[in-house]
Amino acid sequence: MQQPSLLGQSITRIDARAKVTGQAHYPGDLTMPGMAHAKVLFARRPHARVRHIDISAALALPGVLGIFTGADVPNNEYGLVLFDAPVMVSELENGNLAAGNAQNLKLFDGIVRHIGEKMAIIVAETEKIAEHARSLIKINYEDLPAITDIHEAIKPDAPQLHPHYPGNVIQRYRVRRGDVEAAFAQADVIIEDTYWMGAQEHAYLQPEAGLAYIDETGRLTIQVAGQWTHEDQAQIAHALKLPLDQVRVIYPAIGGAFGGREDMSVQIVLCLAAQRLNRPVKIIWTREESMIGHHKRHPFWVHAKLGATKDGKLVAAKINGMSDAGPYNYTSNKVLGNFTGTCVGPYDIPNVAIDSAAVVTNNIPSGAFRGFGAPQGLFVAETQINKMAVALGIDPVELRRRNCWHDGTITPFNTPVPPGCSLNEVISACAENKKLEGAAPNASFSILNSKFAKGTGFACGHKNIGFSFGYPENSACTVELHGNSEIEQAIVSLAGADCGQGAHTAFLQIASEALSLPREKIELQLSDTSTSGSSGSASASRLTYMTAGAIVGAAKAALAKWQDEERPVKMHHVYRPRPTTQIHPQTGEGDPNITYAYIAQSAEVEVDIATGQVHVHNLVCADDVGRAVNPQQIVGQIEGAVSQGLGYAMLENFVTEGGYVKTAHFSTYLIPSVLDMPDRVQSIIIEHPDPTGTLGIRGMAELPLMIVAPAIVAAIHNATGVWVNELPVTPDRLRQALKKQH
Amino acid sequence: MSKKIQVSTTINGEPVEFLCESNQSLLEVLRDGLNMTGSKEGCNNGNCGACSVLMDGRLVNSCLVLGAECEDTKITTIEGIAPKEGLHPLQQKFLEHAALQCGICTPGFIVAAKALLDTNPHPTEHEVRYWLAGNLCRCTGYDKIIRAVLDTAGVSS
Repeated sequence: MQQPSLLGQSITRIDARAKVTGQAHYPGDLTMPGMAHAKVLFARRPHARVRHIDISAALALPGVLGIFTGADVPNNEYGLVLFDAPVMVSELENGNLAAGNAQNLKLFDGIVRHIGEKMAIIVAETEKIAEHARSLIKINYEDLPAITDIHEAIKPDAPQLHPHYPGNVIQRYRVRRGDVEAAFAQADVIIEDTYWMGAQEHAYLQPEAGLAYIDETGRLTIQVAGQWTHEDQAQIAHALKLPLDQVRVIYPAIGGAFGGREDMSVQIVLCLAAQRLNRPVKIIWTREESMIGHHKRHPFWVHAKLGATKDGKLVAAKINGMSDAGPYNYTSNKVLGNFTGTCVGPYDIPNVAIDSAAVVTNNIPSGAFRGFGAPQGLFVAETQINKMAVALGIDPVELRRRNCWHDGTITPFNTPVPPGCSLNEVISACAENKKLEGAAPNASFSILNSKFAKGTGFACGHKNIGFSFGYPENSACTVELHGNSEIEQAIVSLAGADCGQGAHTAFLQIASEALSLPREKIELQLSDTSTSGSSGSASASRLTYMTAGAIVGAAKAALAKWQDEERPVKMHHVYRPRPTTQIHPQTGEGDPNITYAYIAQSAEVEVDIATGQVHVHNLVCADDVGRAVNPQQIVGQIEGAVSQGLGYAMLENFVTEGGYVKTAHFSTYLIPSVLDMPDRVQSIIIEHPDPTGTLGIRGMAELPLMIVAPAIVAAIHNATGVWVNELPVTPDRLRQALKKQH
Repeated sequence: MSKKIQVSTTINGEPVEFLCESNQSLLEVLRDGLNMTGSKEGCNNGNCGACSVLMDGRLVNSCLVLGAECEDTKITTIEGIAPKEGLHPLQQKFLEHAALQCGICTPGFIVAAKALLDTNPHPTEHEVRYWLAGNLCRCTGYDKIIRAVLDTAGVSS
């Protein structure tokens, strides 16, 4: 009998019962017999040369089991894309480079490049003893001038901060299509402005934690919260010079990630400690340690110019953008690529010139955060087109309809938009849901006599699915089938991380569809490098898209064997989507993205003129998810992403001074509480199947965050006549802007 | 080592005795001393509410309460919310409404919501929102949590 598939149903997530009863185990909840406790010593200075590290007094403290520094790391380098950061900064010996390996001599240079650099890991019988011992470590530093402003960093005479990045630039992109200068000369209206977007902190509620130990087979094992088990495994093995199969990574419940767990935090140092001591070692970072210990969303400075004819045809766009990468790459080159691909928006613009650069500073490294460069790119693109709509006197929705991408539109990369482009449909679905009241501020409205002003704003956007720019994307799954006349049990093994987004539940639903089996016959083996191949990262809105390919491929292969009477069956499948390419260094020409997903939002706001406070009454979000695997969970992704987007737009002001963080607690770094949320978030799920993928599924988890800021900024303008070009739009910034205008 | 303090208290209806340092928080006692890890540490300074417990029926952040203050009190944690069999109605409604994602804030929200419904069984949406403003969630955007609490209270929204 054909079983009803779980695909498309709003089933309860498989981990929900454990989570509502307090029984779910996160890394910080784990214990083992004989477990020791660790703390990390951070440099807490932005730029310095390490003269000497003295751990003798700390080691002598009773209860201290071991202290490890950079000199103890066999291969003292790490990085998701490039090995350009030291695991721990070690001292210079006699003015020479300490004994490192040949690959990373330059990194073994005893230089602290941001306040969150790790200097030592201290292991003791209790956490309190480890903390005490940490305070006894003496480090002789020679402070160096800190460069924390990207404009200072790119000056020709600026100190060079990293030996791999001459000119303090990690990556540049250059895109040229058509002739922008000629097109601007012909344009009827030109919008030109400068934008600044600050850093954003992930603020997952579970700070970094982990438990490392030697497992029953003698393997170095860590239970930790991450986003990609096999990448963690590879980086730990690389730094500790171990064969891959001697490192095992397991993810228990993960307390949020949003890109913030994509780079290494506690993984390598904790594994080093457990290996050296041959004892289970646990670490939990405090909130403040988490704030300084992991990367942030890239701050961006952007100068933008957009030209159009008076009948509303966009003819030229020019962008000069720079991100603050901090001292190491992390994912800065990739984020810059996504910024470059989004900063003129999803529009058919025949003449485009984009210059972008990721700039090295002594700020905390920047890296992955939900949207991955697209929130910054789209804030600029969408605010520019909203300004253009006002200047042209054309409805902002109509202006988008006249210019938006369709299948085959030529992108700034001079290649066509992949099939399945539904942007026009998404824009319409959002706009028709709520009649917008024009783009221009109400002429009769006198701001000086009003206490509150209401307005509406619109934005749309696109996001590439998966790692792009030639990265060989892949995702693995193994399906085992047991039974006799019929399948009694299917074991589906894959590693994909459930960071809270419900990935594991989605895997179950896709497996149910692919195998035509009910949930009780499907057993999932999840998130353990010892039981499955790599699913790739839970990021880039890629996991459901890629794992659907892997699960369906493995299921098909297994079912074929089952039809041939093989019992039991075990089949492995690696899904590989269509390949992408790098873009040309001089022209930007290329085919960097597999496919895109599309989104549109409208926001209704009310501005308190006296205080600059903005309240969002209603936010409508239309999101093309291709096929809704679990509609209730998708609405959850939309609502959660909107809250983070709203924080990015108005609240979350990550303040640093000279490389030091001034907002390292939730009392100063404000994330949205329930009272900051819109009165209503209306989610419109559109299912326009993506022909490039599996089962029509598109990625979606990043998209609802990306355009909240431009929609709100447009609504604030609609209410007050004031454009704010800096994020977040704090009450103070808005008040200043209102004062200037009126 | 400073002198430890002996504390007699009741946790989830069971008499419990524990020893703690004078500066140890109730959260530390629960998690490290009693291995009750359902209460979570999100900030350790009273900003996030992930460690919410009831102390004599009053909602508190257990990171801001000293273990030594628990003498002769009745503490309720997330582990004591459900009946012996099945789930508390709030837990059930959190499941039905998908009012959780990563789940690290969920115990705190359920304990806080219970404290509200214990004293105000039919709150308005406005009251629920204000009551839960001390609990941070980074995943859900809160709406499903509010719906779950209102549904538990039998209040339509």
